[in-house]
Amino acid sequence: MKTYLYLSLIPESLIASMLPPDQFGNYYAVGTEKRSRGQAIFFDVDPCFQSDYLPMQDIAKRCVPHSDGSPRRSTYLSIYRVLEHIPLSALGNLHLATTDGRVLSLEQKPYEADKADRLHLYQEFCPVNPRVASTLDPAQFLPHMTDTTQPISVEKIAFCEMRLEALATDPEGGSVENLPYHNIHHLRDCLLGLKYDPNKKTKVVMRHLQQDVLFRTVRNGFFVGDKERLLYYPMPSLEDLELKYHPWWRSALTTFTS
Amino acid sequence: MIANPLYWLAPTAAFVALAFALHFFRQMKREDEGTDTMKRIALHVRRGAMAYLTQQYKVVVIFFAVIAVVLAFLAFVLQIQNQWVPFAFLTAGFFSGLAGFFGMKTATYAAARTANAASRSLNDGLRVAFRSGAVMGLVVVGLALFDISAWFLILNIFIKDADPIHRILIITTTMLTFGMGASLQALFARVGGGIYTKAADVGADLVGKVEAGIPEDDPRNPATIADNVGDNVGDVAGMGADLYESYCGSILATAALGAAAYGLTGDAAMQFNAVLAPLLVAATGTLLSIVGIFFVRAKPGSSQGQLMGALHRGVNVSSVLIIIASFFLLRYLAIDNYIGIWGAIVTGLVTGIVIGKSTEYYTSQQYSPTKGISQQAETGPATVIIAGMGVGFLSTAIPVLAVALGTILAYTFAAGGLGLENILYGLYGIGIAAVGMLSTLGLTLATDAYGPIADNAGGNAEMSGLGPEVRNRTDALDSLGNTTAATGKGFAIGSAALTGLALLASYIQEIKMSIGRVIERAAGFTFPDGTRFTERADIQSITLVDFMAYFQIHLINPRVLVGIFIGAMMAFVFCGLTMNAVGRAAGRMVEEVRRQFREIDGILEGKNEPDYARCVEISTKGAQREMILPSVAAVLVPVVTGILLGVAGVFGLLAGTLSTGFILAIFMANSGGAWDNAKKYIEEGHFGGKGSAAHKAAIIGDTVGDPFKDTSGPSLNILIKLMSMVSIVMAGVTAAYSLF
Repeated sequence: MKTYLYLSLIPESLIASMLPPDQFGNYYAVGTEKRSRGQAIFFDVDPCFQSDYLPMQDIAKRCVPHSDGSPRRSTYLSIYRVLEHIPLSALGNLHLATTDGRVLSLEQKPYEADKADRLHLYQEFCPVNPRVASTLDPAQFLPHMTDTTQPISVEKIAFCEMRLEALATDPEGGSVENLPYHNIHHLRDCLLGLKYDPNKKTKVVMRHLQQDVLFRTVRNGFFVGDKERLLYYPMPSLEDLELKYHPWWRSALTTFTS
Repeated sequence: MIANPLYWLAPTAAFVALAFALHFFRQMKREDEGTDTMKRIALHVRRGAMAYLTQQYKVVVIFFAVIAVVLAFLAFVLQIQNQWVPFAFLTAGFFSGLAGFFGMKTATYAAARTANAASRSLNDGLRVAFRSGAVMGLVVVGLALFDISAWFLILNIFIKDADPIHRILIITTTMLTFGMGASLQALFARVGGGIYTKAADVGADLVGKVEAGIPEDDPRNPATIADNVGDNVGDVAGMGADLYESYCGSILATAALGAAAYGLTGDAAMQFNAVLAPLLVAATGTLLSIVGIFFVRAKPGSSQGQLMGALHRGVNVSSVLIIIASFFLLRYLAIDNYIGIWGAIVTGLVTGIVIGKSTEYYTSQQYSPTKGISQQAETGPATVIIAGMGVGFLSTAIPVLAVALGTILAYTFAAGGLGLENILYGLYGIGIAAVGMLSTLGLTLATDAYGPIADNAGGNAEMSGLGPEVRNRTDALDSLGNTTAATGKGFAIGSAALTGLALLASYIQEIKMSIGRVIERAAGFTFPDGTRFTERADIQSITLVDFMAYFQIHLINPRVLVGIFIGAMMAFVFCGLTMNAVGRAAGRMVEEVRRQFREIDGILEGKNEPDYARCVEISTKGAQREMILPSVAAVLVPVVTGILLGVAGVFGLLAGTLSTGFILAIFMANSGGAWDNAKKYIEEGHFGGKGSAAHKAAIIGDTVGDPFKDTSGPSLNILIKLMSMVSIVMAGVTAAYSLF
């Protein structure tokens, strides 16, 4: 049986499994007894990369079929500082599993920065997971967060951009009709703080991820990188979500958390 | 035999309606059912629906057999009941059940065909769904008209009496008792169907959407087929049986009141025409409803408003034509004050429209009440519930005032004023107003039955994985169906209230006939005030006002007051029983769905099909088990009240149930509808949209509102009419064995 390696972002962990991504995503979301519910966001990782930090040798040793011959669904190899120790070149596709186990796989694409003057909202996933408002676009936000010369920085970071709709340009009066975020007044305050203080680049909106991310709020897509390189996993267009990925999209819309 | 050849218009209209129903059914069957997956899903729903009906009819047959034996005992052994009643009871029940069967069969054949037709164009989808709904509408009015006109003919042949006026009185009061068969069938269809549909819906939603995060109409949810079956069971068979009963009840009660009122003129021909009038208005309405059906057409790419306009066009055309035709009909019949009677018919039609518009205002997300509930969702589920209940309470004002004004106007038009000197004419006016309201039933029921067909078509399109263009069209048809379903409920409640008023008045007529039989058997009858009559003929000459005095039916009589209290209580107890029934049945469904997820491998992965049939079976059995107690209570309470508290107590009971049940039904239907659409308004992208905290709160409101609007609220219509019907049929028992 083939063994796969996954980097889960919620929670940050390295997992070996004998299930391919769609099956692993389903299992990870709903569990064996189908009693568990929770979305999953994970990369598939090339298991051949070398690491002194991560126990790569355990993959073959621990991720073996069960005594009845059934595939091993998950073997946790490591938690904490996992992303930091995986080379970006080893990252494959990104998979988004809804709470009922539907999986959408996203491929890497080149990122073209949006030049429009607008505010941004980011949900970081690892190594820490605050929600951050920023004046920087993703291509600027990534080096800003991974600049090790700064007192607050990380080696690598995975995050997605979230929709602000009219608030992106008009945080004061913009409509929030279709934005499902908690405490929208606080979000407005944060955005206004950024708008009127040119020295401020980022502002924490929420200290940590409290619930699942509602996939319909993801703008553009997911990003992962370090100070040198950015990998971009764009979300399909709304038309493609309706047309090509309809079962996943319906399921994603039924997820009640934000 | 039949004094006026115009009578034949009624059976002719019945046959024309049934012929068009057959034509529309065949037209629908000629449509392609689509892909293999669509056919397979449709087959699951069809089998589930038929399994439910088969199980329900098994229970109904037992109930009907027991009650027919009781009625036969009363008629042939104790001789306090008309001897035709047991047979007529069975035919009314049979035809009501038959209408439900045809309606359900058509609806379950139509869903996949509607989805497939929608892949061609919106208009094709609308045409297939609407004309399939029209099958239900036309079958209901066709079978009802056939049943009534056939029994009218039979009784005209077999009932002999030297006095032609008295003969018509006997015929109409005998026919009035037929309604109990339709009422009892409606009770099972509405209560059983209501419990079924919400057990499946709430069960599917709780485990599917809330617990597992599975979208609606997802084939991985084991309860999804039961949910689709439930739409047909509740909104096609249940609604059809409800309105079949109102339709029969209003015609029969008005005929009985017409016989009593115009019998006083001493002109047998005019009395006969007054009896025929409601039947002929209904027959004319049936024919003109068929005309209206052909006016329902949509242009390609029609908006929601244009689709609604297409449906309204059909109803409006029919209504205007009925107003014109009924004027000439009444003029031809040459009934005294025919213009006043025509005014009452117009009043009924307008009252129905006002109630429909009021329902739309309070339940549609286009208007402020429902938007207000959506806004309250931002502060959590508690405020959603409070706001929904507030809107529901407020929404009772317009329909109640409309019925009150309609009653006063219909009475005034028919009686020439509000005085009691022409009370029977006034009551006849109220009855014929109900007939006027229901005259477009062939068409209005078509728009009601269209809703679940479009809903199921959407489900089929979703489960079959049809393209987004088709889904958008079926969504548009479904959304329209939600609005027509809400207004249809308002219409059903309003017609039940007016029919209930007519039945209340007819109750006294029935008591009169029963006292006549008691006098023949026991050589006399003593009223509660001590007045004694020993001649049957003398009873017939008593005025309604005197009758009320002899029975001491006034508000300071404690028996009337106690009756009112018990009647009001019955509405609430009935709701409590049906609400709890839904809770228990939904709980069993939740457990089953959880079990299937756990024990059947590959459901959530989409590799294995769930056991849909098991969920259908759970809902079916749950509904049958749970409907027995409320049904028995609704039948027994009027009988026991009659024996313990007499006619005065029964009168109070019916008044209490009618007034409380009517208002409670509006409250529940509109609260539920408003909660449902408040959630939809948020899902359209307001107050945070899908997945927001407001959305979660609105979902809780919608779930609470589900049994409000689809089980308890609609079941109250039946309670109002069934208790009146049981009182009418058991009038002989009350007259003969009352303790007071």
